[in-house]
Amino acid sequence: MEEKIAELKAQAAEAIAKTANNLSDLNDIRVRFLGKKGEFTSILRGMGALAKEDRPKVGKVINEAKAQIEELIAQKNEELKARALEEKIASEHIDVTLPGRQQPLGHLHPLTLTLERIKDIFVHMGFSVEEGPEIERDYFNFEALNLPKDHPARDMQDSFYITDEILMRSQTSPVQARTMQKNDPNTPIRMIAPGRVYRRDEYDATHSPMFTQVEGLVIDKGISLADLKGTLELFLHQIFNENIGVRFRPSFFPFTEPSAEVDISCVMCHGKGCKVCKGTGWLEILGAGMVHPHVLEMSGYDPSVVSGFAFGMGVERIAMLSYGVDDLRLFYDNDLRFLSQF
Amino acid sequence: MQVSMKWLSDYIDLTLSGEELADKYTMAGVPVENVIRADEGLDKVVTGRITEIKPHPDSDHLQICQLDVGPYHEGNLQIVTGAQNVAEGQIVPVAMVGAHLPNGQKIAKGKLRGVPSIGMLCSAGELHMDLTKLTEEEKDGIYILPADTPVGVPAASVLGLDDVVLEFELTANRGDCFSVIGLVREAAVLTGAEPHYPEIACKEDDEAKAADMLKVGIEAQDLCDRFSARIVKNVKIGPSPEWMQQRLEGAGIRAINNVVDVTNFVMIELGQPMHAYDYDRITGHSLTARKAVAGENLHTLDDSSRLAQGGELVIADAEKAAGLAGVMGGLETEITDATTTVVFEAASFNGPSIRRTSRACGLHTEASGRFERGVDVTKTVRALDRACQLLQDMGACTVTQGVLDAYPEPKQPVTIDFSAAQINSRLGTQLAGSEMVEILEKLGFAVETVDAAAESYHVTVPSWRNDCTYWEDLSEEVARIHGFDNIASTTPFGRVMQGRQSERQDFIDRTKHILVDLGMTEELSFSFTSVDMLDKLRVPQDSPLREAIPIMNPFSDEAPLVRTSLLTSIMENALRNLSRKNTDIKLFDIAPVFHPHALPLTELPDEPVKLVGLITGRRDPVGWNQSAEQVDFYDMKGIVEQYLERMHIAKYTVEAGEHFAMHPGKTALFKKGREVIAAVGELHPEVAANFGLKQKVYIFEMDVATLMKYAGKKMHLKSLPKYPAMARDLALIVDQDVAVADIERVIAKNAGKMFQGVTLFDVYSGKQVDEGKKSLAFNLVFQSNDRTLTDEETDAAVQKVLAAVQKQFAAELRA
Repeated sequence: MEEKIAELKAQAAEAIAKTANNLSDLNDIRVRFLGKKGEFTSILRGMGALAKEDRPKVGKVINEAKAQIEELIAQKNEELKARALEEKIASEHIDVTLPGRQQPLGHLHPLTLTLERIKDIFVHMGFSVEEGPEIERDYFNFEALNLPKDHPARDMQDSFYITDEILMRSQTSPVQARTMQKNDPNTPIRMIAPGRVYRRDEYDATHSPMFTQVEGLVIDKGISLADLKGTLELFLHQIFNENIGVRFRPSFFPFTEPSAEVDISCVMCHGKGCKVCKGTGWLEILGAGMVHPHVLEMSGYDPSVVSGFAFGMGVERIAMLSYGVDDLRLFYDNDLRFLSQF
Repeated sequence: MQVSMKWLSDYIDLTLSGEELADKYTMAGVPVENVIRADEGLDKVVTGRITEIKPHPDSDHLQICQLDVGPYHEGNLQIVTGAQNVAEGQIVPVAMVGAHLPNGQKIAKGKLRGVPSIGMLCSAGELHMDLTKLTEEEKDGIYILPADTPVGVPAASVLGLDDVVLEFELTANRGDCFSVIGLVREAAVLTGAEPHYPEIACKEDDEAKAADMLKVGIEAQDLCDRFSARIVKNVKIGPSPEWMQQRLEGAGIRAINNVVDVTNFVMIELGQPMHAYDYDRITGHSLTARKAVAGENLHTLDDSSRLAQGGELVIADAEKAAGLAGVMGGLETEITDATTTVVFEAASFNGPSIRRTSRACGLHTEASGRFERGVDVTKTVRALDRACQLLQDMGACTVTQGVLDAYPEPKQPVTIDFSAAQINSRLGTQLAGSEMVEILEKLGFAVETVDAAAESYHVTVPSWRNDCTYWEDLSEEVARIHGFDNIASTTPFGRVMQGRQSERQDFIDRTKHILVDLGMTEELSFSFTSVDMLDKLRVPQDSPLREAIPIMNPFSDEAPLVRTSLLTSIMENALRNLSRKNTDIKLFDIAPVFHPHALPLTELPDEPVKLVGLITGRRDPVGWNQSAEQVDFYDMKGIVEQYLERMHIAKYTVEAGEHFAMHPGKTALFKKGREVIAAVGELHPEVAANFGLKQKVYIFEMDVATLMKYAGKKMHLKSLPKYPAMARDLALIVDQDVAVADIERVIAKNAGKMFQGVTLFDVYSGKQVDEGKKSLAFNLVFQSNDRTLTDEETDAAVQKVLAAVQKQFAAELRA
């Protein structure tokens, strides 16, 4: 009996090891040996023929053998499952280098991106964002800014006129006068005014009949040229980088006194001199100055009580330098191959 | 304004190079745009003597020259040349190895037909000389230098090409710098060098009295402050001396003859424009500054006939206008070779008037530029004296007795009071009063101390500085000479102020970001349009959009109007992209349009901000695993729906409607009550044809102010459901022309209190349903806040819905 058990066990072990190639084979083996009608069941049935005192011993041997076979089946089961998983994984291999599935992407215009950065920097410094009409009175566009009719400085800005008194604003500066006149006299102001402006310029790599300007104005007691320098340096270091050189050159604008042109060290050649900076190492980036007493007076502010500074910059210029755009027309061309790079 | 370093050096000892001086000027607010070197590229070109010439053994046109170039090369330098005009003993310009000539040619060691050649002999053209001043012979072949030219020196110096010209881009306020004297004055302050101005005096060596010969007068006193003249006799017209021609050339002015050159020289030197008349051709021997009569004929120096508009300032003789004052003289009284008596005029004309005239005629002259900025009215006689002196020094005239001077209201000097504290506070500096005084005095301001302790002063502005009226102007003088770089940087942000932008700006910014999230790309477009664009868009003739504001001087005749609709702009941009094979387009534009209250404009127009979008081409990006389907109406509608959702604009209705530019069968109007908040549709086939479009285009149009009225201001959280929802599908067969929105409305109305929403998830028409019918599959969701709904009550609600739709739309339940 015991020999038969040992033989059966050996048969089962061999079957498990050699013939079970998949889970269903393994199951067949289990049924054959351990099933209700399996080999071991029939041996158990044959137990009746044994002496009563031998039965527990043989029973134990059978149970041990069964347990061992169960163990082998379990092991094999694990092995086969692992193999099956491996095969499944292998069969599911894909080319991960194929491009992913794309959602349609939209893009903000680079001038919007630049303007958002400019606004952000100034809003964090406590500047409000003001607006004014794009079709403007000559009074606000020029006269209230100390530019009477036939002033030679008007040549700097050839404007689009609608009537003799109304034009497409040539600068965002009229928003200065409008903001002051809206306020109670001498109320402190810290504002920027971004917007479209229009000049009868050629349409070329650096000029456009319409472009975007940001005007700035700070008025309070005791505002000085030193404050103007500090504020604009802060801005330029943020919009470009901390290491950029900034230089202030005396200049002339009818609405400021003293006036300054502000240059940054060339972002292309870092001041060495190149085509972009025409060999000077410097790039003109904005115009600024202390608000002319006339401008304050004309808008109801008292220059003996408050002073202020104003500045103006071209958003296109800053975007061109930030992104390496070499032709201003690209901004208004709206070619999707251009826009989709931003 | 441009001037040579040579001319400046006549009046001041300069140790700085052109570039260094240019930098000093620029940093003091007198900007130099360019430093032009005549010797650019000539630094390795020297003079050499040809010691020997032999023919080339292998060529019948080449010659082998041996040259002595002094210290530049030990022994003879061998150069092969093809020029035929060379001879032994000649002195010629030699480009040494390493030279980089003005024409871009680089000189290197080489061989010509086997014979080594170490350099090149140069022609006048290769040296960038002014060919117009040379004879044909000099232009041809190698430029042969005079026999007494030193050997072995830089060629630029012997050719007079060693001058450096500064090209200024002067600001409108500094009329005083439009003169050599003015620039020398600045240079003196900036470099500390002592200026030595020319001594101006003329000898009245002719018996004749000017006053007996000519009358001068001012009729238009508002346009002319002063009119001064001197008369010279026995004039010998001829060329002016070389030194004067050279200086004029450096200033960009061509020499003509001694009289004209003198007037130009004085203008550049002193900044006072001058004019010379042929005395004998002045009818009635009188000159009057008066206003032109409309239609009056003006025959100017450039030999063109101009009709006066009226009001221009002219200088007239007894009969007619003899010239446009300050802009251009008249042809009749022009100086000719036959001229023997000359009237020199130096006047001060009204800047704005000169500016108007010069713009109207399109004539911008050296003179008009100076008058526009203002000339020193006190110095007219000085200029006349200088002109007479110069001509007299040439031995070309005699000067008559006296000056003719109409100067009705002599100008009083401007005075300004200031304190050091005022200026320091404006500049943010701590300069001593004495430092400010020093700067001002150097610039020619006369300063009197009012109170030394208080550092307060009384300043008399020099007559040439018409830009200084207020103490703030003096602060600029102090700042620019002290140096902007020497002013510390501070920030004024001790006081906290709130930075923010308007609600509308926020709304516009958010709109841009949402549309970008929805796959749209932002365009920025010009505010101009044309009638043609409005026609192509089918804008009705009576539409207010036709009331576009015309620009008096438009950028181009193709876009003479200010736009009333963004659709014109977005169509242009779409077309441009299509023409460049960018066929998949999703663009939007958010910008103001301009609606006048009435034309012509008397008050400012309305500038409502509009939002338009346009899509065409593929729905998805191109890719191996992406659908190649084209966008359709529902893509555009979906974008609008999702945009409105993100803006918390809800509870609107959508219905079929009309829009001039949209397909009549494919136009949806989104409405709040009766107000349209968005129009969406396919481009009208006629519009598409007008623009030559082959692919389907879908557009939307919205108005920002309208949207803002309905946008949710605050977000309020709706709590999440605690009990599960019950969903039921309902497939209905209805007539083809029943609108889904109508069915959904009836469903919502009849579905009871627990109804949460309905989603259409399938639309089908075809084999499975009868012709003229369509099958619609809806998913209805029911939910309660306080319990789990039972199947029975949910089914009951669906039954009610079914009954209602059956009744209203004769809908059948699909089996």
